Amino acid sequence: MNLNRQNKIHNGKKKMIWLSTPYIGWSLLFVVIPLCMVLYYGLTTDTWDFTIANVVHITEPGYMKALIRSVELAIIATVVCFIMAYPLGMILRSMHLSRNGFIITLFILPMWMNFLLRTLTWMTLLEGSGVINGILNVLHLPNIHIINTPAAIVLGMVYNYLPFMILPIYTALSNIDEDLLNASRDLGAGELQTFMKVTFPLSLPGIGSGVTMVFIPALTTFAISSMLGGSKIMLIGNVIEQEFTSLYDWHLGSGISIILMIVIIINMMLNIAFDAKEERQAKSIKGGRR
Amino acid sequence: MKKIFSRCYMAFIFIFMYAPILTLIVLSFNASKSRAKWGGFTMKWYMQLFQDESIMGTLWNTLSIAILATIISTVIGTVTCIGLMYANKRTRAVVMNIANIPMINADIVTGISLMLLFQAMHITTGFGTILMAHITFDIPFVMLSVMPRVKTLNQNTYEAALDLGATPLYAFRKAVLPELWPVIIAGGLMAFTMSIDDFIITYFTKGSGYETLSTLIYSEVKRGIQPEIYALSAIIFITVILLLIMVNVIPKIRSDRKAKRSTRKVIAAVLVICLSVASAGTLTGCGKKTSSGKNGKLYVYNWGEYIDPDLIDQFEEETGIDVVYDMFETNEVMYAKMAQDSSSYDVICPSDYMINKMIQNDLVQEIDYSQVPNASNIGESYWKSSETFDPGNKYAVPYCWGTVGILYNKKMVTEEVNSWDILWDEKYSGQILMQDSVRDALMIALIKNGYSCNTTDDSALEEAAQDLIDQKPLVQAYVVDQVRDKMIGNEAALGVIYSGEAIYTKQENPDLEYVVPDEGTNVWIDSWVISKNSKNVENAHKWINFMCRADVAYKNFEYITYSTPNEAAREMIEDDAIKNSPIAFPDLSKMKTEAYQYLGTDVERVYNDKWMEVKSAD
Repeated sequence: MNLNRQNKIHNGKKKMIWLSTPYIGWSLLFVVIPLCMVLYYGLTTDTWDFTIANVVHITEPGYMKALIRSVELAIIATVVCFIMAYPLGMILRSMHLSRNGFIITLFILPMWMNFLLRTLTWMTLLEGSGVINGILNVLHLPNIHIINTPAAIVLGMVYNYLPFMILPIYTALSNIDEDLLNASRDLGAGELQTFMKVTFPLSLPGIGSGVTMVFIPALTTFAISSMLGGSKIMLIGNVIEQEFTSLYDWHLGSGISIILMIVIIINMMLNIAFDAKEERQAKSIKGGRR
Repeated sequence: MKKIFSRCYMAFIFIFMYAPILTLIVLSFNASKSRAKWGGFTMKWYMQLFQDESIMGTLWNTLSIAILATIISTVIGTVTCIGLMYANKRTRAVVMNIANIPMINADIVTGISLMLLFQAMHITTGFGTILMAHITFDIPFVMLSVMPRVKTLNQNTYEAALDLGATPLYAFRKAVLPELWPVIIAGGLMAFTMSIDDFIITYFTKGSGYETLSTLIYSEVKRGIQPEIYALSAIIFITVILLLIMVNVIPKIRSDRKAKRSTRKVIAAVLVICLSVASAGTLTGCGKKTSSGKNGKLYVYNWGEYIDPDLIDQFEEETGIDVVYDMFETNEVMYAKMAQDSSSYDVICPSDYMINKMIQNDLVQEIDYSQVPNASNIGESYWKSSETFDPGNKYAVPYCWGTVGILYNKKMVTEEVNSWDILWDEKYSGQILMQDSVRDALMIALIKNGYSCNTTDDSALEEAAQDLIDQKPLVQAYVVDQVRDKMIGNEAALGVIYSGEAIYTKQENPDLEYVVPDEGTNVWIDSWVISKNSKNVENAHKWINFMCRADVAYKNFEYITYSTPNEAAREMIEDDAIKNSPIAFPDLSKMKTEAYQYLGTDVERVYNDKWMEVKSAD
C-alpha cells in the first residue's frame, strides 16, 4: 500500500518533466534553428555554395567604418550612462527606500513609453527649427546644431537606455549589507577607502549587467541612428537593416550579423571572466568579515 | 551640503528624463504645426487622432499582440520552470542557456533570424508571425522571474497534498500556485512591457497591411512628424502614470493585509479592461472588414504621399473591395519586399528601371487590357517611353512621371540656380537635403561630371562616389519624403526633389522655386504593375482601371500635383498656368534627360557598395 503510494508520487514527479517539453520544442524551432539559418545564409553564396566572402566583406571600407563607429558610439553611450547612473544609485541607496518604492519606479517609468516615441522626442527638441532652438531664439542665444551628428545619436542612446543602467546598479548597491560598511569604518577606513575596497567591488555584478544591457542595444540599434542621424551616420545595425530591407542581399546581411554575434560573444566572455574575478573578490571581502 | 548636492543630482536626472516628455505633451496642445512657435491652445490633434483609423487600428494591434503574447508566454514559461524542477541539473542548465539567447542576443539578429525562418517555412508574415516572435522573446523574461522562486519551493507541501489524496492538478493549484503568483505576475508584467516596447523584431517579422504602433511611428517619422503623434504620446504617458498610481498608491492607503489583496484586484481589473478593449478592437476590426470587403480584398503598395486618400475610400465604396494600402520609401525597399514574398501585394507602383528588373525576375504578370478600358486615356507618347523598360507595354500602366531637380528657397539662395554644382557650394553647408536613394544620389554626381546616369564604368562611379563623400559634410540629411516638409518649413536652403512636389511646395511656401539643372537630369515614369502571385488579380485590374479614369486621375493630380500621363485628366485642369506649366508638363525635347535602366545584379552591387561607402563616410 505504502509502496504503491510512493510509486504514484514518483511517477507523478517523472511526468512533471514533460511539462517543459513544449518549450524545449518551441525554443528549438524559434531560437536554435533560426540562428543556424543565419549562420547558413552568412556562409553561403546565392547558389548555396560555401563561402566566407560575406563575413570577410566587413573589411570593405564602408562596412568597417560603420562597425568601428558603432563600437565607439556604444562605448561612449555606455560610459555616459554609467557616470550618470552610479551616483544616482548611491544617492538612492542612502535614502533607504523600500525595494519597490515609488521613486525607483519613477526612474524606470519612461521605459513604458514607446521606444520610438522617446527617440522622436529628441528629434523634436534638437531639430534646426525645433523646440530648443526656438527657446534659444527667444533668449537671443546662438542656436545649437547637434541634430544629425554622432552627438545626437549618443544622446538618444543615453536617454533610451539609462534605466537599464540605473536599475541593476541600484539593486546591487542596495543589496550591500550596511554592517560591512560599518565594519570597514570601524577598522579605520575612510569614506574613499571604504568605497574603493568594499562598496565598489560589491557593486561590480550590477555594473556588469548594466553595461551589457546598455552596450548591446546601443551597438546594434538602427532606429536611433536613422532618426537622430538624418541617415548620414551609418551604424552596423543600419548596414544590416539595409542589406535586408532595401539592398536585398540576405547572404551579405547574415554574414555581417555573424560579425555582430561574435562581438556580442566576446562581450559576454569578458563579462563572465569579470564575474568570476569579482566573485572571488566578494568572497574574500565576506570571508574577511567572518 | 551633501544632501543638497544629492537632491540637485536627482533633480537633474529627473529633468533629463521627463522634460522631453513634458515638451511633447505641451506640443500636443499647440495649434501651430511649427515646433518652435506657440500658436495657441487646441484640442484638434486629439480629435484628429481619434478619427485616424490607421493609428487607432495599430493601437489595437499593439495591445492585442502584447496581451496575447504575455498570456501565452507566461503560461509556457511558468509550466516550463515547474517541469525543469524535476529535470536533472544538466538538462536544466542547457534549457536555461538556450532560453537566455534571445535576451542576450541583439534584437536585430533575433529579428532577421526569425524572418529567415518564416520565409523558409513559407509562412505569410502578419499577425501570426509577430505573435510567435513576441512569445519567443517574452518567455525568457517570465522564466527569469519564475525560476528562482520555483527552485526554493517546498516540495513537501505538494507531495503532502498528493499523499492526502489530491489529484496532481488540484495539488498544484492549491499547494504550488499560491506560492508562485507574485513572481508569475512580475514576469508577465515584464513580458508585457517588452512586447509593447518592441520595435526591431516586429519590424522584421511584420507583413503587408499589419502595423504595430512602433512600426507605424517609424514610417510616419520618415514622412514627417504629425502633431497627432504628440497627442498619442501624451495619452500613452498619462495612461502609464495612472496605472502606476493605481498600483502603487491605492494599496498604501489601506491597511497592509488588505493591500495585498487589492493590488491583485487592481492588476486583475487592469488585465480585464485591457483584454476587453483589445477584443472589442479586434471584433470591430473584423466587423468592418466583412461589411465593406464583400468583394474581396486588394493589397496596394505605393510610394509615400502618392495618392489622394479620398480616392481609396471612393474605390472601396464603388467596388465593395476592401483595400489594404501600404507605402514604400524607395524602389529598392519595394523590391526587397516583393522578392521576399511576391504575393504580399497585388498591385504595385514602381519606377521604370525597377519594373524592368521585376519583369526579368518574373515578379509581375501581364495586364489584361480588356479589363482596363480606361488605359486609353494615357497619352501615346507615354506608352512609347514605357517601351524602353516594358517592351510591348505588356506589364505596366503609367501612373505619374516627372524629373528630378533642385528645390531652393529664394530667401536663402539669391544667386541663379542652374547647375548641380550648387549642391557642392560650401556657402550652403548644413542647408542641403539629398535623396536617400542609391540611383538618385549617384545620378546627380554622374551627370554633374558629364557621365550617363546608367554608366557601368568603374572610374566614373568611383569619381561620383568620391564627389558625394566630399559633399557629405555639407549635407544636412539624406531624406526621402521629408524633403517636402523640411523645405516648406524653411529648414533647408536646397533640396533634391521630384518635379511633382514643385507645385505643391510652392503653394505652401511661395519662396520656393524648382529648377532642372542645365547638365540634365533623370526622367522617370512610375507605373502600376500586378504582382506575379497576386491572389486578387481581378481586383487589381479594377484598381488600375479606376486610377486611369479621367475624373479620378484629375482629382488625384489636384491632390498630389505629380504630372499625370492621363491626357483626358490633363484636359480637365482649369488653370491654364498649371495645365501648361513647364514644371508639371515640361517639353522633354528641350532638356537633356535620361531614364534609368536596370543594369543587372553585378553592376547593381557596385552601385550599392559605392553608395554604402558614401553613407558610412565621415
